[in-house]
Formats: sequence, structure tokens, C-alpha cells
Amino acid sequence: MNFDEPVQGHLHWTEGEYNDSKKEVLKTIVILSVVTIAEVGIAIAYDHFLGKDGSGKWIINLIMAIASVIKVYFIMGTFMHLKHEKKGFILTVFLPFLFLIWAIIAFTVEGSSWMAMRGLLNVF
Amino acid sequence: MSAAATTHHGEDNSQELWNGGGSPFKAGYGKVMMWYFLISDTFTFASFLIAYAALRFAQSTNWPKPAEVFASIPVHGLDKWNLPLVFVSFMTFLLIVSSWTMVRAVQEGYRMNKDGVVKFLIPTILCGIAFLGCQYLEWTHLISEGMTTTTATIHTKVTNFGQLFFVITGFHGLHVFGGVVLNIWLAVSAANGRFDKVGHYEMVEKIGLYWHFVDLVWVYVFLCFYLL
Repeated sequence: MNFDEPVQGHLHWTEGEYNDSKKEVLKTIVILSVVTIAEVGIAIAYDHFLGKDGSGKWIINLIMAIASVIKVYFIMGTFMHLKHEKKGFILTVFLPFLFLIWAIIAFTVEGSSWMAMRGLLNVF
Repeated sequence: MSAAATTHHGEDNSQELWNGGGSPFKAGYGKVMMWYFLISDTFTFASFLIAYAALRFAQSTNWPKPAEVFASIPVHGLDKWNLPLVFVSFMTFLLIVSSWTMVRAVQEGYRMNKDGVVKFLIPTILCGIAFLGCQYLEWTHLISEGMTTTTATIHTKVTNFGQLFFVITGFHGLHVFGGVVLNIWLAVSAANGRFDKVGHYEMVEKIGLYWHFVDLVWVYVFLCFYLL
């Protein structure tokens, strides 16, 4: 273990930075808790709000997706401190996720088409 | 190379950079590398969850309702009530709280406060162990109800659900276990004064990043299996 490496980055805070950080983190954890409670509440109760055949589920999915994005923003931005890093670095972390967004959409549609194909092929 | 007498500060600075005088994105090299490892791990977990999406939408008419599958607290005596999603919400809060105590440990590290770091790592470790215990209870309860990787129940309808559930939560649980081991090493190292000797507590931040990643993955696993 090399203990002689030069210190890189801003690794020692002032009292002011420490207090600001504590406040920001406290605000974050309150938001995360509220969002989680809301998500669970909706998940337990959504059956009452759907149509007879389960229509309107897409609204629930959209709400859940938005809630997750909020959680990602706060966990990555504040807890993991990404918000305070250099903008170029933030981009190197986020741009690969565009591939994932494509993949989620593509494979969800793919799954639906499998179901449709099965229906078509069931003739045999 | 110009023959001018003035020094070219750009060139001087680049020599310094090449000799390790700077760091990528002005952040520590180790921290940047941890982030890039986490991105690669994100792709691994994402591929599992994307497989879940594809298989689910291929059988969406026959897919179980989470509130029915996860309808009770898997503790003997408490499992007689119909309390959908309560237990998993408790597990989610365990990880959220442990994430918060981890952040507090990182903040104490920035102040070079050894005792503060150890003080906040302990609840992080305990919450992690509690989460693993809860996951064990959840697994054994579901298996005893008949949901396995080869069998489905009247609630779970398709074997795919059980297969995906155990593989994905198992893989996540393995990551939590790894994180707990790392945090125990971290707490012991900090208490022994290792980071005072090194001069900074960046290791706490690096392991903290891993721990938050584990929490974030749980947010998505929780979303896919329990909420949607």
C-alpha cells in the first residue's frame, strides 16, 4: 500500500462546506422518504383506479418511472456527490445510459411482439 | 519548439500533468475508476432487468400482481395479516437509512474526523446485515409458499416470475453482502488510524459510492418486481 501518493481532488472541507453538505443531505433524505412512501401507497391502491380490463396501467407505470428518475437524481446527485463534480465527468457517467434507455424501450416492444407472434403461430 | 525567450506556461503545465501532477476531471483517480466500474455493473443489472421487461411483456396477460405475491410479512406470527408490500418497503427504508449514514461517514471523513467516520459506518453495516436478513426471510417464505425457480403458485402464475425474482434479487443480495464486507474492513481500517496516516479519507467516499450504487439498484429492482 503506497501511502505517499499525492492527494488529488478536494478532500478536506471547511466547517462551512460541512454544514452546507449536512443540510443538503438531510433535505435529500426527506424527499427520498416521501417519494418512496408515495410509490408504495400508489402500488398498494392502484387496482381501485384502473379500468375493468386493467386499462390505464400506463399512467401508473409513468408515475413510477418519474418517481424513480427523481430518486436517481437525488441519490446520484447528492449522496454520490455527482452534482458537484465537473460537468465533463457527469456526462461520461450519464451518456452511456442513453444506450440503456434505448434497450429498455426496444426489449419491451420486443416482448410485446413475442406475445403477438405466439398468437399468430398458435394456428399450428 | 519556438525559440522565444518567454516560458510557455502551457507546456510547463502539461509536463506536470504528464508526471501525475493533475487528476482526471479534478477528482481522485480511484474515485473516477470506481464510478466507471459502477457504470459497468449498471449495465449488468440493467441487462437482467431488461430481460425481465421482455419476458414480462411476452406474457403480460398472465403476469402476477405484486400485491398478491408479496402480501404478508414473512415472520411467523405476523404473516397472518394481509399487508401487501409492507415488508419490502421496510427493506427499502433500511437501505435508504444506510445510504444516509454512509453519506454522513463520508462527510465526517472530509473533516478528518476518525471517530465520526466509525460512528456512522456502524449503522451502515448493521442496516446492510438487517437487509440481508430480511431478504433471507422473504426468500424462505416465498419458497415455502411454492414459488421457486421451477414451480409457480396460484399467485405467481408463471415460473418465469420466480426465476427472474430469485436470480435478480440474489445477484443484488450478493452485492449487498460484498458491500457489508467492504464496510466492515473500512470501519476497522479507519479505527486503526489508516486514513489519518494516508492523509485523507477518500476510501470512505469510494466505498460509499459502491454502497449508494447498491441502494440505487435496489430502487430499480424494487420498482420492477414490487411496484409495476
